[in-house]
Amino acid sequence: MLKMNNISRIYRSDTIQTHALRDFSLEVKSGEFVAVTGPSGSGKSTFLNVAGLLDGFDQGSYELDGVNIKGLNDDQLSRLRNEKIGFIFQNYNLIPDFNLFDNIDMPLRYRGFDAKERKRRITNALEQVGLASRANYLPSQLSGGQQQRVAIARALAGEPKILLADEPTGNLDSLMARQVMELLYKLNEQGSTIIMVTHDPDQARAVGRNVQVIDGQITDHSIYAPVGNNAPIEVNAGISA
Amino acid sequence: MEMFNYYLKLSLRNLSRNRLFFSLMITTLAVGVGVFLANIAIIKSMSADPLPHKSDKVFNISLNIWPNANPSPELLPIMRYDDAMHILKNEVATHTMVHYQTQVYTREVGAASVTSYQAKVRATTPGFFPLTSAPFAYGGVWQGDHAKQVVIGDSLNQQIFGGGNSVGKLIEVDGKPLEIVGVLKPWHLKPLFYHPGHRQAFSATDDLFAPIETALDNEWAINVQSLSTERINSVSDNRGKNAFFIHAFVQLDSQAQINEMKNYLENYSQMRKDGGDFLRETDNRLLDVNQWLELNKVVDKQMLAFGLATSLFLAVCIFNASSLLLARYHSARFETGLRRAVGARISDIFYQGLVESTLVGIFCAILALVFGWLFLQLSLSLFPKLENTSDIDGSLIAIGIAIALATSFISMIYPLLKACHAQLSTTLK
Repeated sequence: MLKMNNISRIYRSDTIQTHALRDFSLEVKSGEFVAVTGPSGSGKSTFLNVAGLLDGFDQGSYELDGVNIKGLNDDQLSRLRNEKIGFIFQNYNLIPDFNLFDNIDMPLRYRGFDAKERKRRITNALEQVGLASRANYLPSQLSGGQQQRVAIARALAGEPKILLADEPTGNLDSLMARQVMELLYKLNEQGSTIIMVTHDPDQARAVGRNVQVIDGQITDHSIYAPVGNNAPIEVNAGISA
Repeated sequence: MEMFNYYLKLSLRNLSRNRLFFSLMITTLAVGVGVFLANIAIIKSMSADPLPHKSDKVFNISLNIWPNANPSPELLPIMRYDDAMHILKNEVATHTMVHYQTQVYTREVGAASVTSYQAKVRATTPGFFPLTSAPFAYGGVWQGDHAKQVVIGDSLNQQIFGGGNSVGKLIEVDGKPLEIVGVLKPWHLKPLFYHPGHRQAFSATDDLFAPIETALDNEWAINVQSLSTERINSVSDNRGKNAFFIHAFVQLDSQAQINEMKNYLENYSQMRKDGGDFLRETDNRLLDVNQWLELNKVVDKQMLAFGLATSLFLAVCIFNASSLLLARYHSARFETGLRRAVGARISDIFYQGLVESTLVGIFCAILALVFGWLFLQLSLSLFPKLENTSDIDGSLIAIGIAIALATSFISMIYPLLKACHAQLSTTLK
């Protein structure tokens, strides 16, 4: 599904070069749920931006669902983001004066679906996150957890190959965080491939696979028990790509 | 079409959500376009071609006939009675007319009221009407050089007779009855090419047209502009003397006619020189309508300078609107970034911005036309000589709309390009 080999991402200013990712290699198979952890500034968000085609890379190769990313133009990258990737952001990133329906509708518009198909997908997505009855609500009329579920519905509506979640529970209290995580587990059980950046070690342990990033490199790669079970079944410490 | 409707919906939402901002931006652009439009309206009228179908075929005749040898770069646009009569006799031109302007008091013969109406008179020759394409509503031109007949304009006809066919009626002109043989339709000639001097370039056309001989016979002399080197006792005394007061125009439809007319004038100059007249070097000129108007500086240089200033003002308005938009796009970069993240192409964002700029341009155009009209009225009230010159006509409305749309687009393009190329990873968390 996702295959990165020796990816480097360097941010340059007039005087400083920062290696946000260096020789970063990772392969994620279809149906996996991967947690990416690491301290602030370790490069995990850069990894997610590169994986989500929101940012480019300087060296290495990246294949997403069999498509080599290198050399694609902006239109092709936009199309891949639209068709293959679902984003779940920490801040939800819902448009405040759009109701839930219109927020979820946005990526489908760029896909060129007709009104009937868009409505079907939006209704399904809202049902999946348990908010079907609130399609006409504005985001401000919902709790943080509900808003994040709307963001998940927006990501799901396009039926993407992979969901990229950047600290999806970072702004939520523990109860709402658990609800959102349960939704993600459920989606993974239904076959969705998910990569989630998180600071929470419990959440990292709860998913099938944990990748720890420090200084732009993978320093630890652990495989855990099936989703929801915190007990590790296999640990490969210090795997460096 | 579906995406256009979507962009339109988004644009309306943006305008509604940011009313104050867009009001400021639209007003900024509309003021700039409005001032520019008002200025264009004035300059357009000033520089209009009064005879677009034949302005290159109608010529003013200037003879270098100052009765002394002092060199002067300026032409004398008026001539003596004898010169005018000689030109009138030419058999070269398609139409020839000579004229001078004066004023009279008129009333309906036998009217119960003693009220007289002041009327501008064009003392001229029958060739005036076909040469200027004056439109007759009723009747035609007088018969005979000394005929006691006149043609009246529409406004005088309305004023004295209440309009309608007044041919055959008698009009009292400075106490003497004259027969009306023709009535003109409403006639606007901008500029008044046959009399652009004496601040009359944008005056209304004349009220009354009479044979030049009749005008002289009746001593119609009010406001007659003349130069002379000898004592003149009355306007009819101008005949045969060195009194300069008549303008001459000819219509020459071919180059051959132009050449022939030049020869005709050269021969006349030589004849006068041989007789001891015309001491200066021969310098006869045939200036077509537009050259003639240019010589008379009909387009005010101050207005052209003002036009340049309004162009710069419009540029400043565009710059201001662009700065405002840059700030708005900066504040809205989250939404743009989000749209890009979920699959919008740069072209999608650009088209959305284009629809928004078109919508802004339409609102701007409507407001600019209102401002343009207001600024024009203000200009006309501040500069009375521009009165009757200008109006915002259909073509200017179209120009105004086009400029408003263009300025809206120009002001939006840089901020839009900046927004389209913003780094996605920095706008979303």
